[in-house]
Amino acid sequence: MSKPWSRYSTGHFFDELMTPHGSPRVAARRAVNFFKSLSGGEMQARRTAAALAIKEMGISFTVYTEGGNIDRAWPFDIIPRVISAREWSRVSQGLVQRTRALNCFIDDIYNRQRILADGLVPAEIVLGSDNYKAECEGVNPRFGAWAHICGSDLVRDHRGRFFVLEDNLRVPSGVSYMVENREITKRVVPELFRNYSILPVDDYPLKLYEMLSALSPRKVKRPNIVVLTPGIYNSAYFEHAFLAHGMGAELVEGTDLMVGDDDFVYMRTVDGPVRVDVIYRRIDENFMDPEVFRPESVLGVPGLMRAWRSGRVSIANAPGSGVADDKVIYAFVPDMIRYYLRENPLLHNVPTYLCMRARDRNYVLKNIAKLVVKPANESGGYGIMVGPHSSAAEHHKFTRLIEKDPRNYIAQPTLSLSTAPTYVDGEIQPRHLDLRPFILQSKDSWVTPGGLTRVALKKGSLVVNSSQGGGSKDTWIVEGKA
Amino acid sequence: MSMLSSVAERLYWMSRYLERTQDTARLIQSYNHLIMDIPKGAEPPWDIMIDILDARLLFRASFKTGSEHNVLKFLIADNKSSCGIPFAVRAARENVRTTRDVLPEEAWELVNGLHLFVEDHAKNASGRRNRHNFLSEVISRCQMINGLFAASLPRDHAYGFIKLGRLVECADMTTRIMDVGARDIMERAGRLGAIDPLLWGAMLQALSAAAAYRREVGPIIEKDAALNFIFLSSTFPRSIKYFVRETRKELMRLNNHDLATRAVERLSRRLARLDTEHFSSVELHEYIDDFQLQLISLDASIQATWFRWERV
Repeated sequence: MSKPWSRYSTGHFFDELMTPHGSPRVAARRAVNFFKSLSGGEMQARRTAAALAIKEMGISFTVYTEGGNIDRAWPFDIIPRVISAREWSRVSQGLVQRTRALNCFIDDIYNRQRILADGLVPAEIVLGSDNYKAECEGVNPRFGAWAHICGSDLVRDHRGRFFVLEDNLRVPSGVSYMVENREITKRVVPELFRNYSILPVDDYPLKLYEMLSALSPRKVKRPNIVVLTPGIYNSAYFEHAFLAHGMGAELVEGTDLMVGDDDFVYMRTVDGPVRVDVIYRRIDENFMDPEVFRPESVLGVPGLMRAWRSGRVSIANAPGSGVADDKVIYAFVPDMIRYYLRENPLLHNVPTYLCMRARDRNYVLKNIAKLVVKPANESGGYGIMVGPHSSAAEHHKFTRLIEKDPRNYIAQPTLSLSTAPTYVDGEIQPRHLDLRPFILQSKDSWVTPGGLTRVALKKGSLVVNSSQGGGSKDTWIVEGKA
Repeated sequence: MSMLSSVAERLYWMSRYLERTQDTARLIQSYNHLIMDIPKGAEPPWDIMIDILDARLLFRASFKTGSEHNVLKFLIADNKSSCGIPFAVRAARENVRTTRDVLPEEAWELVNGLHLFVEDHAKNASGRRNRHNFLSEVISRCQMINGLFAASLPRDHAYGFIKLGRLVECADMTTRIMDVGARDIMERAGRLGAIDPLLWGAMLQALSAAAAYRREVGPIIEKDAALNFIFLSSTFPRSIKYFVRETRKELMRLNNHDLATRAVERLSRRLARLDTEHFSSVELHEYIDDFQLQLISLDASIQATWFRWERV
């Protein structure tokens, strides 16, 4: 069997573990040397062990197809991604800064609207957005925090600089896989943990619990926290159950809750109604309360908005947070940081062309083959066109889409995403990846050490979503000299 | 710590479906044994099992005749029939999927294992050759799950609702088997007197009561003693008396139990008035009919009190 690493080359991309000269980066040296010492057969054995662990631990995700929902085993690559703690601390500060500014923005938009009055962000793109919820006007959540859990997608360019690709402020998912990935790595390559000081990630449910507890309107030792899920057929149900279990909280569906005549929220238990203090909401806000939003929703709780507006229950993320989770608003985040915090942004934004602006639009339409075009309002990698990887017919289709609804499209230059060594077809090959850290924000701010690394398993592909053939890697933030 | 009504409801139904799986398997198994001992022409019809499960309409929708082949296909191999073993197992599994948090970790593995076994083998198990092994395996897997709960569940709400589900389902099945089975034997009485003990024996067998009966009553099986044992034995865990006593005990541990305990008291009073010695087949049927109605009312009051309450 040939050596799995023999043909590894980083090309002109930034590689997370290897320098362009073919030697391991400092923080990754021991990990790379360890994997290099394994034969092809040994690599295969570890990979099989990982698959077995995933099956035993029951880690799965759901894929929607025409033939129904399929529970698939979690695709996992055994070679971790390694980042030094020093480098991470700068990124982490940048994420905290960003999330604080975004929360200032949401709070401002639903109250005084200073930023609109000052003309920094055009009022029509905020107030005309589907994500702007008039029902949230005038509400003042504790600590001014609306987006309590933020999952930002980071990528690195060919020079290794971190860029924020998007901020997910509605119901970001993936954190359970971050925790489980570490668990799998511990089982499969336990040797590596002896020589490394790797920041732990398994305390996430505890941090989440502390953050949510701080939101409780009732000052009690153990507030009643529930995780509100759309149910077993949701693709992230595994994660909902995982987090509820980790926090010792109840996993509830809409029908388990009710709002009393006193506007408090109660859960239905065998001992009668029990008051709920904090709801960690994992259902889309449009389905949250049929009295206010979609009346046909059976997932929600009638009266929930009423209860929340009166401050009798806290909801994370707060309804209306999605107003800042829009790829057009994204372009203004650096301005928000300067405006609200009077600081310079620590993390880069990807240059963004807003098709609503005539000048930007003309540029986009002329250069559509070079750009990535995204709908302002989709997630999960749906509806995206990567210019260089698309046909002329697709370019044409998106040209028409943009002309029809310019407000709904943005375009960005195609970044040369970083790569990392990945075990594919019996060989180690470079594959593109991104990183989704999670930022918690209530009384204090906290960032996961690392996050969920998603990797495009197809050669040359930039699409990392697990619903579209992506895999994942354990992410290590390592301290000290390796 | 309290328990969500929806979780309690799923546990209750998981338990009922598991019990139904086991009871249906036992019923088929015992009938299977019986049929081999009885002279041709004298055996009760196969579709008596369809009557026991109250599934005549459903059965007729898919099958014309109540032949052995059709009845067994309906109860063992048919994936869609809501009276068959595969359906009950699937329903139990769905309920465990969403209550894994309150159950021992092995519960999912065992129930999922049962499900996979049934998926793989039910298709080929309706014929005489594989039937016995299949049913024995199903029964022992169900027993394993019950054993797990008995040995490792804390005696809190989860245990309580699982136990209630099992008790109610078991009482339901016991009375159904007696209603149809005993009536069939009594109505043919005299005509084929020689095989009566065999038939009563099969009925006890179907209720897993044969060994217990022999120890408590003796080896001779006859109508009055058999009925008496099934209704009134205070030690046999599938007897009606045992059901009433244990159900009352479980209900008393729950809050707001008034409605449900009143239903149990009604059952208890009926049991106290029972006199099996002078039962005609018609009287037995009327008695059980009334008992079943009270059982339905108990089930409804459990649901209304703990699962489906609206507001307080």
